[in-house]
Amino acid sequence: MKLNLQTRERIFAASLIVPCFLFVSVFAFYPILYSFYLSLHRIILTLPALGQKFVWFQNYRQLFQDRIALHSLTNTLIFVFSSTFFELIFGLVIAMVINRHFRGWGVVRAAVLVPWAIPTVVSSQMWRFIFNDKYGLLNYIAFGSDVASYKAWLADPLYAFLAVIAADVWKTSSFAGLLILAGLQTIPDELYESARIDGANAWQQFWRITLPLLRPALLIALLFRTMDAFRVFDLVFVMTQGGPADSTNVLQFYGYKKIFAEGLMGYGSTISVLVFLITFVIAILYIRMIGSGLIQEKT
Amino acid sequence: MVRRSFPSPFIILTLLACFIPVFFISGCEKKPEETVTTVRFVTWKPNQPEVWDEIVALFENENPDVKIERETGPHSSTAFHDLLTQKLKNRSRDVDVFFMDVIWPSEFAAAGWAMPLGELFPVSERSAFLDGAILANTYDGKIYGVPLFVDSGVLYYRTDLLKKYGFSPPETWERMVDQAASIVAGEKKEGTGIYGFSGQFKQYEGLVCNMMEYILSNNGRMIDPVTGKSDLMEKASIGAVRFVRDRIIGNVAPRGVLTYQEPESLDVFIQGKAVFHRNWPYAWEVSNNPGRSAVAGKVGISRLPHFPGGESHSTLGGWQLGISSYSENKEAAWKFVKFLSSERVQKIIAVKSGKAPTRKILYGDREVIQANPHFAGMRDVFATAYPRPRSPLYPAISNILQRYFSKAISDPGSDLEKEAEAASEEINRIVALGR
Repeated sequence: MKLNLQTRERIFAASLIVPCFLFVSVFAFYPILYSFYLSLHRIILTLPALGQKFVWFQNYRQLFQDRIALHSLTNTLIFVFSSTFFELIFGLVIAMVINRHFRGWGVVRAAVLVPWAIPTVVSSQMWRFIFNDKYGLLNYIAFGSDVASYKAWLADPLYAFLAVIAADVWKTSSFAGLLILAGLQTIPDELYESARIDGANAWQQFWRITLPLLRPALLIALLFRTMDAFRVFDLVFVMTQGGPADSTNVLQFYGYKKIFAEGLMGYGSTISVLVFLITFVIAILYIRMIGSGLIQEKT
Repeated sequence: MVRRSFPSPFIILTLLACFIPVFFISGCEKKPEETVTTVRFVTWKPNQPEVWDEIVALFENENPDVKIERETGPHSSTAFHDLLTQKLKNRSRDVDVFFMDVIWPSEFAAAGWAMPLGELFPVSERSAFLDGAILANTYDGKIYGVPLFVDSGVLYYRTDLLKKYGFSPPETWERMVDQAASIVAGEKKEGTGIYGFSGQFKQYEGLVCNMMEYILSNNGRMIDPVTGKSDLMEKASIGAVRFVRDRIIGNVAPRGVLTYQEPESLDVFIQGKAVFHRNWPYAWEVSNNPGRSAVAGKVGISRLPHFPGGESHSTLGGWQLGISSYSENKEAAWKFVKFLSSERVQKIIAVKSGKAPTRKILYGDREVIQANPHFAGMRDVFATAYPRPRSPLYPAISNILQRYFSKAISDPGSDLEKEAEAASEEINRIVALGR
């Protein structure tokens, strides 16, 4: 039996795609669809007698009246915007630094990646110790041996929130830096050369050449960081458990509490679906922006 | 191109074929015929692991047909709950015997996770245990756990400092705050930095335990035991919360207590940095252990203070042994539970790790009292300790309470009435789910 070239190519293509498709279906599509299915039910694990009742969108209606959910949504949004903002700025600085070749460049490049390589749970513990009110490094740096003025940073609603942001920025700036570095390396040296010949100073080169050409890389870094920041959980879990005064409660942590501690499977799934929808919309917006950015470049 | 495209599906199949036998081999691995039953015990990391090693070894010696496999979970009750319920939800067979915090039996019973012990643990047996501890294990008239040891909040104080300033242990919270303030001021003049009080005020379960003691001792209540509705709006309840916010946090206690669970707050005390300390009975052994504590031998213990017109109340804590409904070795599991909760083993635990036993008779035992002289005077405290609300929805109620208390005491300008009202509404909504 002889198949024509096109059919054979199609079979080949399909055989390459199927494993990947199966993988994504089992580990991504199925959980998402199942969460959505659960979110339309009232399921209370500790009250099995109530059964699994189909309630249409009642959980969603309740979610938008739940002041704690709205509070943790606000917290999440503030966290996402501020941490992503600082991560991109520091990431840009890191990328510019390791893009230069200087003595000890290899060491610096490796050192920059260390925070990103440490598991979040471990680095969150570390930050919890740094902010500790009795033996924390931050207190030692700020007040030295003047133990009486040591502050309990994580006991203050505002400082605790800032502490979580700081820990996230420290940890993931280098990841943003790595993505931006990839963008930097695609900028041809000739552009800078001709700019220098035209008498442009470093500042002008940065604003007129580096930044515009970095746009796609910056957008990709932004996309990754925003979506990742939306899923913030481990930092809060280790550092503050959502406290004090619920000031560091974020959506994912709230959903976790609902499902794992309180056994409210239906309502907890509703929160997961909300997080999914928000990240999904953001992803689509960004991909459109990146897509158009790339097209502009090519034409 | 054409040639290359053909073999590829075969390559993939071959690759898959390589993995398939692995599944089969691991799946069909034949276990040797065992005459020894393995009982899997989900426990937490104990303060004195050597005591537990000794007890398990003793059991295995006496019961050569049963082997105990321990799985150690996190120390924090909340984290332990998440781990354990995750296994039970999935009907895991890796769990035979497990620890239950005093607040879980209702939940585990209603969810069908804990096996009703019925005839194994008859009423005649139960009467040997403290009544409150038995009540905590009862849901809908059936018993689901065997209490192993009880906890109740007590007040620790520095005997040397109280003596130096001519104070006797405080009866009321007001007095405790005043004594603490004058001792702190006096010590400061001599150049010693010390705080007045340390307790557990982080946003977690322990916060509910601490706050309940203030509220009850002001004749208030968190939850109406009959209707299950919130009583946080009552004047007495709000008054107690206000006292903690205005007089304790950031005054006699450092603001850092808002981030403290038991270990952190105990550290402050055993380093000699606090005059008064609220904790569970285990802190007695630790704070009098010269290897760990800078104040060994200078520690006193008493009932918790109360508000004028109120009575001292301690929160009931403690741990129970339950058997999973999905266990395949229920008989051996019960053997182990019976052994652990026996008078003999409870005595070992009481003497060596300072846990308060659940069997009444041990409060008259010479060796137990010798190791824990405070038990003699504390028996009433253990016997009358007040349970937290018993409901299968307690975890949800507790999260609301934790949030309310943390908000109320972290912010000196918080509007207590408004916060209490919002928390009450949320609690009543949760309670209505179960009706």
